[in-house]
Amino acid sequence: MRQDQTACGPPKVNRDKRLLESYVIGVGYQLGVDVGGTFTDVVLRAPHGEVSAVKCLSTPDDPLLGIMSGIAQALGDVTPSLITRVVHATTLATNAVLERTGARVAFVTTKGFRSLIPLGRYARVEEDRYDLRFTPPVPPVAAEDCFEVDERVGADGSVLVPLCPESVRRAGREIAARGITSAAVCLLHSYADPSHERQVADLLREFVPSVVISSEVWPELREYERATTTIMSGYVGPLMASYLTRFQDELRSFGITAPVHVMESGGGVMSAVQAARRAVATIESGPAAGVLAASLTGHPDVISFDMGGTTAKTCVIRNGRPEITHEFHVGGKGSFGGRRAGTGVPVKTPAIDLAEVGAGGGSIAWVDAAGALRVGPRSAGSSPGPACYGLGGSSPTVTDANLVLGYLSPRSFAAFSLSAELAEKAVDRVAGALGVAREAAAHAVHEIVGAAMGSAVHVVTVQRGIDPRGFVLVAFGGAGPMHAARVAGRFGIGTVVVPALCGVASAAGLLAGELSTERVLSALSAPDPGAVFAALEAAALADLGVAAGAAGLRVERSVDVRFRGQAHELTVPWGPSVDSAFFLKYHQVYGIAQEGEIEIVSYRLRLTIPAGRRTAGDPGTREGPTGRPPRSRLAYFAECGGYVDVPVLTRAAVGSLRGPAIIEDPESTIVVPPGWGAALSPDGSVTLTGEGGA
Amino acid sequence: MNDALTAEVLRNALVVTAEEASVVVVRSAYSTFIVEGSDASAAVLDVRGRLIAQSMATTLMNSMALKVALPFLLADHPPATMAPGDAYVMNDAYRGGVHTNDLLVYRPVFVEGEPAYLTATMIHVSDLGGLSAGGMAPLATDIFLEGLQLPPVRLATAEGIVPAVEAILRANSRTPDKVMGDVRALLAGTAVAAARLSSLVTEYGAAGLAEGIDAYLDYTEARTRAALTELPRGRFTASYPIDDDGIHPGRPHTVRVTVTLPTHGTEAPHPVTGQSRVRGTAERGESEGGESGGGGGAPAGAPVVVDFEGTGPQVPAAINSSASQSMAAAVFAVRCFLDPTIPMNDGCLRAIDVRLPVGSLLNATPPHPCGGRFVPIYAAMEAVFQALSEAVPERAIAASGILQPFSIAAVGAPYWIHLSYDFGGVGARRGLDGPDATGVHFGIGRNSVPQAEPVETRCPMIVESVETIPDSGGPGTFRGGLGSRTVLRFLAPCHVTTRGDRLSLAPQGREGGLPGRLGGFYRRHLDGTLERLPSKANNVRFEEGEAFVVETTGGGGLGPPLSRDRALVEADLRAGLITEQGARRDYGLVIPAASPARPGRS
Repeated sequence: MRQDQTACGPPKVNRDKRLLESYVIGVGYQLGVDVGGTFTDVVLRAPHGEVSAVKCLSTPDDPLLGIMSGIAQALGDVTPSLITRVVHATTLATNAVLERTGARVAFVTTKGFRSLIPLGRYARVEEDRYDLRFTPPVPPVAAEDCFEVDERVGADGSVLVPLCPESVRRAGREIAARGITSAAVCLLHSYADPSHERQVADLLREFVPSVVISSEVWPELREYERATTTIMSGYVGPLMASYLTRFQDELRSFGITAPVHVMESGGGVMSAVQAARRAVATIESGPAAGVLAASLTGHPDVISFDMGGTTAKTCVIRNGRPEITHEFHVGGKGSFGGRRAGTGVPVKTPAIDLAEVGAGGGSIAWVDAAGALRVGPRSAGSSPGPACYGLGGSSPTVTDANLVLGYLSPRSFAAFSLSAELAEKAVDRVAGALGVAREAAAHAVHEIVGAAMGSAVHVVTVQRGIDPRGFVLVAFGGAGPMHAARVAGRFGIGTVVVPALCGVASAAGLLAGELSTERVLSALSAPDPGAVFAALEAAALADLGVAAGAAGLRVERSVDVRFRGQAHELTVPWGPSVDSAFFLKYHQVYGIAQEGEIEIVSYRLRLTIPAGRRTAGDPGTREGPTGRPPRSRLAYFAECGGYVDVPVLTRAAVGSLRGPAIIEDPESTIVVPPGWGAALSPDGSVTLTGEGGA
Repeated sequence: MNDALTAEVLRNALVVTAEEASVVVVRSAYSTFIVEGSDASAAVLDVRGRLIAQSMATTLMNSMALKVALPFLLADHPPATMAPGDAYVMNDAYRGGVHTNDLLVYRPVFVEGEPAYLTATMIHVSDLGGLSAGGMAPLATDIFLEGLQLPPVRLATAEGIVPAVEAILRANSRTPDKVMGDVRALLAGTAVAAARLSSLVTEYGAAGLAEGIDAYLDYTEARTRAALTELPRGRFTASYPIDDDGIHPGRPHTVRVTVTLPTHGTEAPHPVTGQSRVRGTAERGESEGGESGGGGGAPAGAPVVVDFEGTGPQVPAAINSSASQSMAAAVFAVRCFLDPTIPMNDGCLRAIDVRLPVGSLLNATPPHPCGGRFVPIYAAMEAVFQALSEAVPERAIAASGILQPFSIAAVGAPYWIHLSYDFGGVGARRGLDGPDATGVHFGIGRNSVPQAEPVETRCPMIVESVETIPDSGGPGTFRGGLGSRTVLRFLAPCHVTTRGDRLSLAPQGREGGLPGRLGGFYRRHLDGTLERLPSKANNVRFEEGEAFVVETTGGGGLGPPLSRDRALVEADLRAGLITEQGARRDYGLVIPAASPARPGRS
């Protein structure tokens, strides 16, 4: 919501030269470029850790315009040729998927399975169960663009029906005749023997310029998810390839010859070449960068909490490492923040395991048929925006409630003032319907949106059997710091950290990304796991373009294990004691102490080249927001019985204080509730400390 | 906190509690039906027998059993006899259960030293005996042929699983290790949910949580009543036929329903004379102290009465249903005409008065088989859909093809079992074609159909094809969903068991729409010829190389086919959903001779 403040003005440069903690020291200058829906953030880090940040409006029609303008501003006097590395987070793949602007893809599969994609594997969950007018999600490839080839491989990799080349050519001719330029091939059991898929690709390339095969994209058992992952790769790949080529051309003509790395969904970075080939791995590029930023605070166990105008995203970081999932659902849904299996297009690629709920500053409050107050999931967005923006919106939003409660003031936003009168009028609409006072309604809105955000925390912690107490909540995004202490309190979390520069946290996080790649192969209880891992490692080394034994190279091997007779696996590190590691994890996850015969279903290998060592920076110096804020204002705290006069400080002036208080700086407004203390850390972050409970 | 907030926060917390339990069960169970189909149910209840929350991704059918059976469990095992660490198991179909192969597991949650809540889980376990491996006995003539019956018994104590119970379960299963794996999964699910609930007690306080739950149930009731009051007033009747009972060919069976939406201020009508009235449960075994009794407990003056008076009598064949399942069908079908976001708990049940004649197909008494309960209750759902389609024409739906369960198992020990189902096409809706080969009843989706690769990895068979059947959707202005054809070729001899319906009486269209194409079960002989199997067949032996073919029935169409938008007919032809012959025959499409294969370009 805060980020909407400049959405209606010209590109605004928010240029701060400060030192940030914990950024990687490398040689030369490095650029982090994060393109979001509203803003493009560019962070430049000098050789000794000095960071300058630029925030300018995104240019959706051609993202490179906004990027190059941001880079020019961030560089200032710095000579472009001094840049040694550019790390990019892009929503290109995400938007292509959500807006369906990717390439038209033909799907090619084994004879008998032409309906695999049109039939789909959707679930009907929650309210969809009671909806007789439910219509399944549109499949990623239309029924008429699905083709069959004559061949069949068995579960053990044996050839049951030899490949008929003419059946492939027939499909290729028809695909070409329809003007389709991208094909995705997924044949049954190709993870067990990819040779048919490779032959099909060779034959198809005579007719179709771009062909991807499932055994290269993600060779894992279960044909549907392997097929959709391959299709999504074929869908966004051509787009990503041409975009990255243009980006590198633009950089070169600007004088930057440094390699471009792209953040992948799992929090590593890939070379541009790799990103074009496995574009599907960049779908969660932007959110992953935000989580990395949260991991930079130096606390080992962190819940990242990123709240913007329309959604809140959470992720768990344990021992400094974000949780990784191996399957997520593009466009999926679920009221508890999880993207449920069967509600979107499954993509089998490592991704930081985020939960996202439709609760942000723009979420609209309303009263349902039974007279209960509800907040969201509808959002006022940036147009018309919350009522207090004065842009014609009249629905009460979370931002309006926060203004009524005094958490925000009319002068909180630098770019324009907020209308307390319009906010009050809007909140009165729900207050009237509920028959309660204005401030009671506003407080309820604040509490309910806190509960919704709490459910995103719930999904990544409690729901996965993780006790959130003892974690540090790291809050960023425009609205995060205003709600963070309350959300933390719900879960007994006693420490909240609001990092410096939280407005461009994602771009800063990019520079911490490590060059990495992951490979998988399904091979049920393979006779020679060493050979499987060797093959995976060779492929991974080729992905990164490095030789085995390169300096600092980190290799992580893991396996998917289950008890014989089961169908679901758990991933555990590979080693001599796989059995006991599996028994232990099984007990942790399911609460069942069980031992028995196990089987290994898949083998995974992750290869990482660290970007460099980390170091702590110097203490930051802080300036207050534009204009001098009042020293105090009335704000509503239920514990205090209503409105009380609370101090309002800038971040630099915090020192150490007790709530209730409000801290305002250019990026955010931090609410310190009663019972919480706040202190400025040497790295410029503000740490809130509570009694550890609601 | 105010009430509205409590409801919202608790809704999250309580439903997530149930949800988490079901996830644990799915991921740690062994029964193939569950692990590939993700169909585990879980619920949070209280010692008064009230349903507080249930898992969100599973069918109401199974979850309702957890609610209806609880008072019977509490009657046999009063809360005062329960100790921390205890868990209970049952499957008694005449006391709230489903059928012998579905185990219900309960765990009391103690508050201030007394059992206050129960967490519960339920799945179709790997095997518990009966006529065929895997738990389907389509030709059973009494419940003793369906498998082991379990009254409510203590399954575990703080010391672990009770050895005697484990011994009984193992002795009665063809797959003793797997069935115990399933039981451990069920126990683990209840334990996870119980731990979560205990933390809610800590967070809200005993009284705070209890008040919050009361408010949540009241809120749900208010929303349900408000939504029911918006429906048109009147009395709407419908009936739906069952193909056959598998034992007595030619004998008709019908489910009849009258849905009454009384005018404001009037009492619900009296039940038709001469039949006993049941509110959503079997009449025997009312629990002590359970004011809502074993059923919905709908108070007098409920804004809807769903009365199945006139439904055919129970039969000594596997097409009867236990009361819990029929109750679920009625509630589910009514809910389909209300705001779908209304929570599912006792508050909702209090507003819906379900009457199930004792001794009818929908409320079986001992020893009538209950394993084929989906047959009568799908008919019950369809009848309510048709009745309410008359009341609310803009939400009308034509009749649908339904799920066709089958099991394939080794002919002898050691047993491997593949239990699965395919779906028929959904009936067309006003303005919308029916979805292809998926469930509309109980809201399950296609994700519960196993994939080919894992099946072939586990069982000696080759999945030759899974495809939609062109022209199988009932023609109409809005087309019925297509049925599917699955071909399974066996690499070893095996037994095939089927349990189908709507394979001889086609789902009808509405308002001029035509019926869906009938499916069936077939044996493909080595020479390629097809032999049709009965819709309900038990342990049919297949030899290596023979194939089992499952064709599901398409959904009915809605509106005259000739009124269908030409562009949609052409698109269906391009997509292979109809054939050229079908386009001409059913929709009168004139296909230019010059480009027979590409009508869309003309």
